[in-house]
Amino acid sequence: MSSATDRLEFRSGAVRTLWFSVGVATLRAVVLPVATGVAALIAWEWAVWALHIPQVVLPSPSLVVHSVVANAGLLGAHLVPTAMVTVVGFVLAMLLGTAIGIAIAASRLARDMVYPCVLAFQFVPKIALAPLFIVWFGMGLESRFAFSAFISFFPIAVAMTSGLEATDRRTLALCRSLNATPRRVLLHVRIPFAIPFLFAGMKIAITMAVIGTVVGEFISSRSGLGYLILNAASRMQTDLILAAIVVLCAVGLVLYGLIEAADQITSRRFRG
Amino acid sequence: MMTDYVIRSQNAVRRGVLSITFVGLLVLAWEVAARRNTGAATAIPPPSEISDIIARHHGLLLQQAASTGLECAVGFFVAVVCGILLGALIAYSTSVSAALYPHMVVFQIIPKIALAPLFIVWLGVGTQSRLAFTVFSAFFPIAIGTLTGLRTTPANVIDLCRATVAPHWRVFMAVRFPFALPHIFSGLKVAVTMALIGEIVGEFITAQIGLGYIIKFAASNMETALVFAAVVLLCAIGFQHRRLGLRH
Repeated sequence: MSSATDRLEFRSGAVRTLWFSVGVATLRAVVLPVATGVAALIAWEWAVWALHIPQVVLPSPSLVVHSVVANAGLLGAHLVPTAMVTVVGFVLAMLLGTAIGIAIAASRLARDMVYPCVLAFQFVPKIALAPLFIVWFGMGLESRFAFSAFISFFPIAVAMTSGLEATDRRTLALCRSLNATPRRVLLHVRIPFAIPFLFAGMKIAITMAVIGTVVGEFISSRSGLGYLILNAASRMQTDLILAAIVVLCAVGLVLYGLIEAADQITSRRFRG
Repeated sequence: MMTDYVIRSQNAVRRGVLSITFVGLLVLAWEVAARRNTGAATAIPPPSEISDIIARHHGLLLQQAASTGLECAVGFFVAVVCGILLGALIAYSTSVSAALYPHMVVFQIIPKIALAPLFIVWLGVGTQSRLAFTVFSAFFPIAIGTLTGLRTTPANVIDLCRATVAPHWRVFMAVRFPFALPHIFSGLKVAVTMALIGEIVGEFITAQIGLGYIIKFAASNMETALVFAAVVLLCAIGFQHRRLGLRH
């Protein structure tokens, strides 16, 4: 009897230590990175102040924050076209990429012909084609829409194709034995199986879409955060460059976060 | 077994023939369409004209390609050394990796391309700024690959090493590093592409030398055939670097 209570005591103690260590581990995972980030910012601020680094070379974090606040209107005005081009380019890439992925998965001929070319394009430095898009589509928004879509298309097409190919063999065999039509197998089995792959591709594609938009703005635009950065660089306004970069990073992280959230929601919905 | 092998090699042949046929048909259609419609030929010159341009301007193009290829290769090499060293250093301390890993992941997500003009402010419009930017672009995938690889060494293998009282550096050289190699190489694959992208964007905005400069200059003069010629050479550089970097 006493040994049983002892064991119970021991177990509840073990559970308590387990809880404690889980708490410490999560605390550590949150506190350590935040503390490093804050320490780095303080070191940066201190170094700029102590070493008398000129503002043009490296403005202090407080000055960058001040510049974000002081130029809020300007940054906001340039944020709108950048965010719009990124989102439109990404949506175009999504539509085209999933369509090509489904076409490749549905037809063996299409797969053997087109897929090696799509894979080879992964290694081509697509950024180099940006000036061509300006020749084709002009200096306006269209060229940046097209370029952003072009840059983010490939990860989505590759992810969709490999997702559709990775369907569980036994499930496919079951469908065949139930005489399911290829169309129904595609819609109800293969596409749902491909969704986690698609999200992995979308996460790469959204960062590529932002990069495509910024490079497009570097070389053609009269507006957008990329233009603002290059313009500020030519006038040596380093604090404005960093302020624009902060806003751009925020855009990138928010868009990535949205896709991550959608991924979590769909995976919870489809896979219990 | 034998039939399995035959079927597999037949499939490979089929795939090779079909994809080459597809590319061939594409190039042929492009050539015919560009020759028929002379108005569009400035926008998309026929492939024959592109190869013509490469043959005619090969001196200039090769000179610029050499500059781009060299800067990109040096940048990639420096990024490999720094990335593997930092990845290994971080992997050895759980506190340091817990503190730095989230920051490195965030750095993967943010558009680093936007920082290119800052490198010009710091290092001027010469080789230094392009090199530094190339290293910066290629560095993160390598460091993350190394870190992930070193962390995934199976715990029982490490336990065995500890039981045989192997010294730390031997465990690293003989066990942890080899186990990490697949992850490091997948980081290198991403990094090769990133290095070339960093180099080209650097050339776009410093506009002094290199294929990126040629592309931007030719596009502003509407010399699309020259743009395509430079892009062809860039693709060749990309494939070459990939092959050099990835032969185990």
